[in-house]
Amino acid sequence: MIAATQLARRHRFRWWELLPWVAGIAVFFAFPNYLSFATQVLITILFALSLDLVLGYAGIVTLGHAAFFGAGAYTVGMLAMHWGWHEPFSGLLAAALVAAVIGFASGMVLLRTHGLTLLMLTLCTMTLLEQAANMSAAWTGGFDGMPGLSFSKILGLFGFDALYFRSQYLYALATLFLCFVVVRMLVYSSFGQSLTGVRENLLRMHAIGAPVRTRQVLAYTVSAALAGVAGALFTQANGYVNLAVLGLERSAGVMIVLILGGYGRLYGAFVGATAYMVLEHTLAKAYPTAWQLGLGLTLIAVALFARNGVIGIADSLRRRLEGSAR
Amino acid sequence: MLETRGLCKSFGALEVAREIDFRLERGARHALIGPNGAGKTTFVNLLTGVLLPSRGNVLLEGEDVTTLAQAKRVKRGIARTFQINQLFRGLTVQENLCIAVSERLGVGGAMLRPAGKRADVIDEASRLMEILKLGEDAGRRVVELPYGRQRLVELAIALGLNPRVLLLDEPAAGIPSAESHILLDAIATLPKDIAVLIIEHDMDLVFRFADRITVLVSGAIFAEGTPAEIAANREVRAVYLGSALDA
Repeated sequence: MIAATQLARRHRFRWWELLPWVAGIAVFFAFPNYLSFATQVLITILFALSLDLVLGYAGIVTLGHAAFFGAGAYTVGMLAMHWGWHEPFSGLLAAALVAAVIGFASGMVLLRTHGLTLLMLTLCTMTLLEQAANMSAAWTGGFDGMPGLSFSKILGLFGFDALYFRSQYLYALATLFLCFVVVRMLVYSSFGQSLTGVRENLLRMHAIGAPVRTRQVLAYTVSAALAGVAGALFTQANGYVNLAVLGLERSAGVMIVLILGGYGRLYGAFVGATAYMVLEHTLAKAYPTAWQLGLGLTLIAVALFARNGVIGIADSLRRRLEGSAR
Repeated sequence: MLETRGLCKSFGALEVAREIDFRLERGARHALIGPNGAGKTTFVNLLTGVLLPSRGNVLLEGEDVTTLAQAKRVKRGIARTFQINQLFRGLTVQENLCIAVSERLGVGGAMLRPAGKRADVIDEASRLMEILKLGEDAGRRVVELPYGRQRLVELAIALGLNPRVLLLDEPAAGIPSAESHILLDAIATLPKDIAVLIIEHDMDLVFRFADRITVLVSGAIFAEGTPAEIAANREVRAVYLGSALDA
């Protein structure tokens, strides 16, 4: 009976879920000189959140998630550069749509495989897109990318300023919030529950009659759309896009972020992205030539002692406390 | 209800199912026995669509389902348990059952409504836990349960699919004798129109449960009959039962 009540209440908002958003607003006022950096953190959180949906919930291991980030980033860049489409919100929607189409098409093919084959194929898909962007210089700017992009004012009121990221930050925070609400709704729905079933035991999911591949492709498509929005935010906030948005470094980086924070836990993306980027920023400032060593050691420590990431440590502590209370 | 005609399956030169003609009648309590490697689990995999036969047909209520995907056979009422537990180990018992029940009710893909608001799913999961005496473990993760309790979850999931044909692959394996009555009680209380095929090495359980027994040896049907006929069959005793019955 207690378990039934817990399940029935699991989707309800808890007080501590306000903390990331309160912190997000507090950063705006407390660190006005760091809003450029904070905007990049928000974009990384959204990107990691999109990866969490497929990796953490559906158990789809991918090294090519930057393909969708890049697709979104280039979509708004090309729209602004070649078609004079500077409106930010519709740009986000267009980016989500393009990334979703690529996600759906590639998912239909790639998700027939699994394990190392899937890992390699996701990587190949991303590399193909990267090379396509590199070779289509007339459209994408090739190796140099597209610098100096401009976008209209948000709601006709707040302009993007390359020096002061106030508008960019609030815009990114609001977009992250909306996307988070969608992801939260999905993971607590029956669909989300079935995705965790896919992650936990594929054989059993087939044996209960679930359309496993349809669910995987759907999750992959939604995730791609969200990654596309993150990519679009990147281009809009920074006013440029180049091949780095489609690189392995970005894909691997977001996976590290999620592992650090804890995957399959909704808030792992928040904790992981913030911890990773703050650590990176601090170490790079303190040890300009050896900062990656400190980052590497931290990641080794997490891999060895906190396999479920920072959120996993909190979960273990909570379980122990509950266990000792019984 | 479920029937096979000339069912064959080969892996290269190895024949694991040979010309199997088999009938599982509506409401039957049928046991499939045979020595290790006889092809019993392979046969269940052929019935459920995990494997496609090299030759022959599988018919469900007269309809050919030989090439039908596993998921679609489940929707038509064929459910199974596995020889080795196949559970969502990181999830709670209740979540395991809710996932199965959601699929059966066709709401497994619903995105907008929280799973916790599906009272029909949660109530059905609770009913299954009550039948299999799993209520006290509802909130525990499956990985934390003893193996015997996990076997009961395995059965509960299969029952949650509301099957017309239930295939139980060694359901009592690993269940302590003190708890095996829970399993037997659950099977005994199944509606009489459900056909049950049980693969089991525990001969006591087989002879208590089954009203018909098929003996499979080297991928082919060796003998079939009532428990009394099988027990009296000297050849069956020689190849398989021998010491178990003499003892």
